[in-house]
Amino acid sequence: MSAAADVMRKPLPQPDADTALFWQGLRQGKLLLQHCADCEHVQYYQQAICRACGSEKLVHRAASGRGKVHSFSVVHRAPGPAFKADVPYAVLLVELDEGPRMISTYTGGSPEEVTFDMDVVLVCEEVGERVTLPRFRRA
Amino acid sequence: MSEASLRGTVAIIGIGQSPVGKVPGRSPLWLAADAARKAIADAGLEKSQIDGVLSSHAFASPFHRFSVAFSEYFGLQPTFSNTLQVSGATAATMFNIGAAAIVAGLADNLLIVAADSLMTGLTPDLALRSLTESRDQQYEMPFGIPVANTFAMTAHRHMKEFGTTAEQLAEVAVIHRSHAARTPGAQQTKPITVEEVLDSGMVTTPYHKLDCSLISDGGAAFVLTSAARAKALGTAKPIYILGAGECYTHEHIFLMPSLTTTGAVESSRKAYRMAGYSPRDMHTAGVYDCFTGTVIMMLEDLGFCSKGEGGRFATSGEITYRGRIPINTHGGLLSFAHPGMPGSLFHFHEVVAQLRGQCGERQIAGAELALVHSLGAGFATNATTILGTENTL
Repeated sequence: MSAAADVMRKPLPQPDADTALFWQGLRQGKLLLQHCADCEHVQYYQQAICRACGSEKLVHRAASGRGKVHSFSVVHRAPGPAFKADVPYAVLLVELDEGPRMISTYTGGSPEEVTFDMDVVLVCEEVGERVTLPRFRRA
Repeated sequence: MSEASLRGTVAIIGIGQSPVGKVPGRSPLWLAADAARKAIADAGLEKSQIDGVLSSHAFASPFHRFSVAFSEYFGLQPTFSNTLQVSGATAATMFNIGAAAIVAGLADNLLIVAADSLMTGLTPDLALRSLTESRDQQYEMPFGIPVANTFAMTAHRHMKEFGTTAEQLAEVAVIHRSHAARTPGAQQTKPITVEEVLDSGMVTTPYHKLDCSLISDGGAAFVLTSAARAKALGTAKPIYILGAGECYTHEHIFLMPSLTTTGAVESSRKAYRMAGYSPRDMHTAGVYDCFTGTVIMMLEDLGFCSKGEGGRFATSGEITYRGRIPINTHGGLLSFAHPGMPGSLFHFHEVVAQLRGQCGERQIAGAELALVHSLGAGFATNATTILGTENTL
């Protein structure tokens, strides 16, 4: 692919050994969190060991999809041509009810209506034939 | 706590910097060589006496091993060399690791050198890479996150938790510009007002264009040697490394333990402890200023004011010449120059010049002790170095 074409295309996640199930889950409308069977730690970032205790006994469970906006920033100047048509859009740091935080973007309304600690719910948005991204709308 | 200590064992004996700002037709390697030549001359050494080289990466000269490529370009065959990469914190780590290497006998006369050409040297390909490369390909990049975004979210949360205002952020930019106005060769010297910052166009809330650091060409270099060799050389005013500390709390912004209290608390605590000094002992500081809110949070985490007070402290005159802790007297990344990873080296250059009494109309009378804090990647990486004159040993 040429660099010129590359720059116009939004970067899509390339699943790896740690994340294949996670991205499959989103395609089925589920945000899979890893629950540690040994210490009950819950993690969003998918990895083969528990970050709290090192156990490999991790179990996937679908998140409730509910969370709060811990912080956010409304992007007015796009990071490259691929996102230019989308501005302004709100990047969210969502704190899920289960505990972990994640980066996402606001959907289903104006970015200007986003506030701190606002209740949000998961929206699984298809962005291509093979990829579904986890976004959030107002609860 | 470690029993070993770098305190007073290594001295900075040479400093140099290239022209900064818009320097067309000059590669990062040339900018690095220009700074290195000046630093070696300032140290009173010959090039052949340099046996160690530490560098950071350059986007516009994308060598995997910049320190090795630089040595070839400059005509050196060092017996100690490395290219360090912890984003914006790399500058201070070069001093910390360089000092440790000298104490351990890996190098006698060590050159720290870095440069980049982010303003005039990037091809469109390289510019794109510089925009996106540092964020996570699966968890962050698909959402369209500019480099500024992670820092913006920390500052935004700071505003929510502590009532920090957009006007206070803007005032930090105004102060840096007023400092740069006294610095020969600074990239931006035209005075600005709070209103102009607020009207400069939103990049990503709460940051306007003038809340963001510059994009520049430029480089800087330093010569370090042992305290004993500095004495034997008869260096007029060696500046000693008194304390060093680092802290790495996360890789991804969503795993940052707190958005408003950073690893700078721990990295500076370690550096103060090694130095045997406290925040109130510092006469000046180089505080990483990639964004205005970054400065406000660092004033708190480095111990210059209490948590939540950064906005009020920064706007009450305390960080300029007659204040409690004058910072970034050269104008910082916000107004002097910001060529990426080498940017924080200019904080070191300024602080060493202050401690030597070489700052002319910018000089802080009686400056003997200083701190430099470098950080990067949305506060993922933090490194602190404390420097002092012979009187502080």
